[in-house]
Amino acid sequence: MQYQWQFAIVLEYWPIFARGAVTTLQITLLSSIIGLFIGLLVGVSRESAGTAVRVVTSIYVELIRATPALVQIVWLYYCFPIIFGVQLSAMTSIIVALGIHSGAYISEIVRAGINAVDTGQFLAAKSIGMNHFTALRRIILPQAGQKMIPPLINEFANLMKLTTLGSTIAVYELLQESNNLIATTYRPLEIYTFLAIFFFIITYPWIWLSQRLERRLKMRA
Amino acid sequence: MLRITNLGKSYGSARVLSGIDLDVQPHDVLAIIGPSGSGKSTLLKCINFLERYDEGEVRFGGQLVGYVEAGGRRRPATERETNRIRAEIGMVFQNFNLFPHMTTLQNVIEGPIRVRGVARDEAVRDAERLLAKVGLADKRDVRPTKLSGGQQQRAAIARALAMRPRLMLFDEPTSALDPELVGEVLTTMRELAAEGMTMVIVTHEMSFARDVASRVVFMEGGRIVEEGPPGKIFTNPDNARTREFLARVLH
Ligand SMILES: Nc1ncnc2c1ncn2[C@@H]1O[C@H](COP(=O)(O)OP(=O)(O)OP(=O)(O)O)[C@@H](O)[C@H]1O
Ligand SMILES: [Mg+2]
Repeated sequence: MQYQWQFAIVLEYWPIFARGAVTTLQITLLSSIIGLFIGLLVGVSRESAGTAVRVVTSIYVELIRATPALVQIVWLYYCFPIIFGVQLSAMTSIIVALGIHSGAYISEIVRAGINAVDTGQFLAAKSIGMNHFTALRRIILPQAGQKMIPPLINEFANLMKLTTLGSTIAVYELLQESNNLIATTYRPLEIYTFLAIFFFIITYPWIWLSQRLERRLKMRA
Repeated sequence: MLRITNLGKSYGSARVLSGIDLDVQPHDVLAIIGPSGSGKSTLLKCINFLERYDEGEVRFGGQLVGYVEAGGRRRPATERETNRIRAEIGMVFQNFNLFPHMTTLQNVIEGPIRVRGVARDEAVRDAERLLAKVGLADKRDVRPTKLSGGQQQRAAIARALAMRPRLMLFDEPTSALDPELVGEVLTTMRELAAEGMTMVIVTHEMSFARDVASRVVFMEGGRIVEEGPPGKIFTNPDNARTREFLARVLH
């Protein structure tokens, strides 16, 4: 192949990449926070709340896990406004959609974490008259938390990659900025290659950290 | 203080307890012995409602445990009602079940602060006294994983005592211990009995039961087969099955 790579183009347009990167990080962070909040609430209630709550929360989890994230995003952006009469901005849509999406996965992480705690801990907490909520907060979750950290970091890395789905509803994250840049520079090879490398650089450290912590936890057990 | 009447429990179709009658007076030390799977742990857990029972009743200080009577019928008690009773009954487990993310002292003050609403200073003072009593004064700031099995079990006893229970339940407190560590835990329990603590102890330590218990209950197949003072049960039991069991475990 005689292609003349011109990565200088990337340097030349760095402010555009920087702008896209900021948006990507914003989406990742905000949707993580929403996901964490939903995941904790749903994960805990699937383990402890009454039957009605358990049914509703499992429907949510299964529905989300059995549909593509992309479909969830376009549904929230295009269908939600028609049905409920409230139009969310593209940015809000992707943040909320990814938050709801990761919430389902995070709730499973929380649930697995709670289940991994020795049942004797619940018995001991109850035997001193502790109520269920206090036992969760003071005794179970602090122990589950440790086991939850590696998969949570992994989920964070997943969200980072999922942000590129925002390009389908014209959110100016990294992929969308790149597409626009290609439309004016006609340099898809350099730009997409750089994009791939860039994502690897911001995502891999989290995956590495997650694996490392996981291994350390196993060794201690 | 504790009265159990016609208690029954099943797991699905498996009957685990039937027709249990038991009466525990203040300062009694009741030892429950019996083969594996006879329902000893289940009975103990029914007393503080860690296990739900289906038939009969458990009364602690006259109050029905786990249910509330209203107009001749009974409904499940709320968590709060059950917790109020649990707070007055201490429980010690075979596997200690100390909170591993807390120091020994934190394990002991957790209940008083979170459940009884005691001020922290007072809880710490009380915990230090209890830890000294079980011989762990120098271990207050150590995590349970750094303690030997015997020390862990004594810490667990201190944790239960910190709630100022009126009744203590022990489920095979020395079964998970190396033989050389059994003595120190039994000594602590002996002291408790001497102070007049009311205790229900599931145990395989027959000599301990003989020395310390005021009464011994032999269980088999979810029923109480025989009950009496240790002098009688261990030397001249009425029931043939009791005799068989003792012959097996004493030699
Ligand atoms: N959660 C449960 N589900 C179903 N069956 C159970 C459950 N817990 C206990 N059992 C059964 O109930 C019976 C009594 O168990 P329990 O633990 O009370 O016996 P135990 O006398 O304490 O025995 P061990 O000396 O081995 O501790 C056993 O047959 C056991 O298999
Ligand atoms: Mg048992």
